[in-house]
Amino acid sequence: MPTVIALDVSLSMRRPVLTNGTNDNLQNEPLTRHHLAVHGINALLHYLQVNSKLEFVSLIVFSSLYEVICPFTRDYDSIRAKLQTIEEWDKTCIEGALHGINNVIMAEWGNATACQLYPIFIHFILLDPSLQAGLPLYQRLVDLAGGDSIVLVPESPLSKYSVAACFQKLAEANYVSFQGYLKCGHLGSRILLSPAPMPYTKKADFELVPDLVISKTIEICGFISVGDVGSPSSISRHLVLPLATEKTSSMQDTKKKSNLMLTVLEPGSDVVPWLGNFSNLGPLDAAKTPVSFPVRPTEKRSYTQNAPSWIRQVGLQSDIQKILRHARKLPEKTQNFYKEVNRLRRAAASIGFIELLEGLACILERECTLLPPNLNPDCTIQMGHVASMIRKPEFLELRYNIPPARTKFQTGS
Amino acid sequence: MYPANHKTIFVLDHTPYFGISTECPLEFDFLKSRGQNLIPLAPVCKSLWTTSVEASLEYCRIVWDLFPTGKLIRFVVTDRAAYVLNSWSPLQQNLNHIMNGTAILGVPPKTPDPGEDYSVIHGLRVAIETLNECSEIQHEKRTSLNENTTKLVNRGRVICITSARDNSNMKSLENIFLNELAQENKTALASDHLIPIDYCHLVILNIYPNNIESQVTSQGPREISPLLTVEVHSIKASALHSKLSHLILSHYDLASTTVTGIPMKEEQNASSSANYDVEIFHSSAAHTAILKANPQDSALIKTFRRFEEGSEYETVTLKWCTPRGCSASEMQYCTAMHRITPVDVNSRPSSCLINFLLNGRSVMLEMARKTGGKTISHLLAAHGGEIFIHTLSTARSVLEDPPSISEGCGGRVTDYRITDFGFLMRNNILVPLKRTSNSNDDGTVEKMRSRLERHTKYWPMTISSTLMFNLKQVIDPLAELMVKEELTTDEVLQCKQVIFSVLGLEAKHETLPLPNIGGGRGGKGGVRREEHYRLLWDEMETFLKHHANNSAAHTEVLTCLLEIRNKDDKDKVELDQALRELDSFGKEDGTARVSVIRATTDSPMSPPANVSMPLNKQLHKANVGSKSLLDIWLQRSAPKDRKPDFHGRINSDGLKAKLYPNLKDTGREPRETILEG
Repeated sequence: MPTVIALDVSLSMRRPVLTNGTNDNLQNEPLTRHHLAVHGINALLHYLQVNSKLEFVSLIVFSSLYEVICPFTRDYDSIRAKLQTIEEWDKTCIEGALHGINNVIMAEWGNATACQLYPIFIHFILLDPSLQAGLPLYQRLVDLAGGDSIVLVPESPLSKYSVAACFQKLAEANYVSFQGYLKCGHLGSRILLSPAPMPYTKKADFELVPDLVISKTIEICGFISVGDVGSPSSISRHLVLPLATEKTSSMQDTKKKSNLMLTVLEPGSDVVPWLGNFSNLGPLDAAKTPVSFPVRPTEKRSYTQNAPSWIRQVGLQSDIQKILRHARKLPEKTQNFYKEVNRLRRAAASIGFIELLEGLACILERECTLLPPNLNPDCTIQMGHVASMIRKPEFLELRYNIPPARTKFQTGS
Repeated sequence: MYPANHKTIFVLDHTPYFGISTECPLEFDFLKSRGQNLIPLAPVCKSLWTTSVEASLEYCRIVWDLFPTGKLIRFVVTDRAAYVLNSWSPLQQNLNHIMNGTAILGVPPKTPDPGEDYSVIHGLRVAIETLNECSEIQHEKRTSLNENTTKLVNRGRVICITSARDNSNMKSLENIFLNELAQENKTALASDHLIPIDYCHLVILNIYPNNIESQVTSQGPREISPLLTVEVHSIKASALHSKLSHLILSHYDLASTTVTGIPMKEEQNASSSANYDVEIFHSSAAHTAILKANPQDSALIKTFRRFEEGSEYETVTLKWCTPRGCSASEMQYCTAMHRITPVDVNSRPSSCLINFLLNGRSVMLEMARKTGGKTISHLLAAHGGEIFIHTLSTARSVLEDPPSISEGCGGRVTDYRITDFGFLMRNNILVPLKRTSNSNDDGTVEKMRSRLERHTKYWPMTISSTLMFNLKQVIDPLAELMVKEELTTDEVLQCKQVIFSVLGLEAKHETLPLPNIGGGRGGKGGVRREEHYRLLWDEMETFLKHHANNSAAHTEVLTCLLEIRNKDDKDKVELDQALRELDSFGKEDGTARVSVIRATTDSPMSPPANVSMPLNKQLHKANVGSKSLLDIWLQRSAPKDRKPDFHGRINSDGLKAKLYPNLKDTGREPRETILEG
């Protein structure tokens, strides 16, 4: 989860910290709140370097304006270097800072990646008795932000130690790695998931399951090829890193990098429609008949059914055209002709569109008079037959299809 | 959690008035252009009834394409009484079921019965009654004994397509509905199986023929009571479909995407292709990721689409991205996935896109960026005859540039049994099984778990830590059979044959065909060979012991191995002989036999074989009929009277015999070497 460090560089940060006797500042330069902030940030970066190397960190400074000092990076040393060169500006404006942070995060990570945000100035200004009143305001801000947002105040007296302790507390609370065990039968390994999975609340119709977490033991129940899995929607993705058991890591450099990735699906056993219910999955040799993915739904979707749609005029026209096209190729196209006629008849009967049936009858009758003389006489006979049958009320019933007229041209009659 | 779109009821007016024409002529006589001397045909108009059935079915088509379960719709048709066309049962939630009903009812009666009360009120009352009925999931939630369940909230929507005289007429309709609602809720409270309505959204669509002006005015949603919100739309019949298409967006929280730039061959001119657009509907959540990101970007891709009667809605335009080999076969990072349906289902561009997808290809969709670039934001793909829009992550990934697995711990090991692990994976591929009635939910998972445990009971990770798995041609099919849950008699025999053949190879002093570790390096071949066999036997024993508890048949295989291993080395020769005889015996008998053992000459140092009687003769003595081949063999190879003991041991105490005991005796001193010459 990327981290944005927003550092207040207003003038108030340059106020010296009163040290009571013990001077831990060797340069004899007065220790300012800014120095303490930098010290704290360094402590945080140190923690990440040791415990959470894959974390992306960005550094933003703000006063009445904001500036991105370091875009998101895993190169913590570059952030450290930049920290040394920060200049002071005018006054604190939290609103501008939050806007800035929002822009930076949205541009880089989109809204799907949760971001940790620590406006570190909160820790300091509160020490000033005159600004103590600000605490509830910041408290409200983090309440609005929700999640695990907190306001931290270093213990007084303000010193390098209290600040470092405060940052340590922050780091320990927020960069908890997920350590678990990946199991495949008797094989297994201790693993680390990076980034650590977050608790999830499942919201669906008639269902609200809060605070779902991934169990520490992740068990492999079988294998499915990537092609069959497709790209189901996932809650999150995590790198699976083996944890050292005996040996430490080697510096082997291979050209091709392979990683093990954990894709966390929505909780539940029926979340990927084309895989079916997970509780129905089993080994191939348990299948009595040959089975394979994808699992098909019992109902077909409308776009696979080729049902007539006459909401737009063009749909109606193309259906009638098709009937006339087949009509001119009778008797060869007898089957197609009657299939299309009955398809139209059924659809019209379903929506009570008897006007269309009358209209089709008229158009067929007129078509008979327009046929060129070289056409098979069966065209006229069959079209006339349909025109008279389609007007009969019994063919408003879906189950009765209009059968072809028996003529000497029809095969089998 | 309890959405109003779970239950929807269409109330369709089937009173005689709805038989009248919409006066909206359809251009279906497209032959006009063929010549002037054609007799023009009378134009065709749909009736109000046809229009309302057609538009409501289209509404259902979209809903059920996008939400195959959980979004229920019922139809109530009303004239002099109410007719309920389907139930809440999933089996009756499909277009065919509804269309059968409407076909049976037919067109509205032309001549009303004078004594009858034709009214939409019958339908509205029944609609409330049907809302009081539980759907399957409501029933399940209601009767579940889980203490934590919150109170079930029964929400629903009634969409009534009718035609009222004027506003006061409409007002009284509303009032009647509200009264009926209160009334029916009282009945529901008193009943065991009915559930009171907590909230109802009544949508009245007042339609009229195109050639008249209606006295009813449209009214936005009004909360008439905490239980009831009413809205009225008064529209020309021809605009009903677009009105419903508009309303459905908010009813189901849908959004529209226009896929633009789809290259399609022209019907007339197959060599050229033109670009087409296809509009699809899907859950609005498919857009959340791109619309919540950069506001400037989202402004760029949003456009407005206008319906015929003026209402407008947003559509997001995404560009077709010609597929380049990649896509569906790879696992994309997909943050959301929703079913889609084309807005215009039978248009040529729609069916072209649909068929392209249904044939197994997928389409990436690109969104334009304010900065000028383009990002692939979505993937359209069909799975099992259903088309989905996958929302892809457009942002930078926190997983970028991950450390290679070879950099982690254990990464330096170069001889993992990767190919074998591939076999293990392939042997444990999951497929969708037909659900049998007596199987419970956890059954298959438990079975797979124990299956994987069986398959990995003895599974060395590296090539160098196993001998047995490097000797596939010797060991097969022992390893793959032993991991099974149960063994047939035939399979047990196959396993034993493997053991015998190893024994045979050893007896013949054949070098084990080890790919990397084995001989070829010359020198101590003999020692190595013996050592290899010893290791192989040890490992096979370990392997079989791990699986001995799988079943009695598995134990039998282990027992076979153990019995063989209990032999002294000296007996090996004897066994070898026995094997050869067994070999020939098999040939005579024509029954299953040990795999062919090539005749080899024994080492010249081997002591003579201690076989007193040919096997054949023994068999005759031992009454063959009751014994299996194996029994015979085992009997034959069982330890027998040993060879005479080492002579030196006879005079020693215990098993240790002193060599050259007379060495120090007088006259037995080592002689001095006498050089001749």
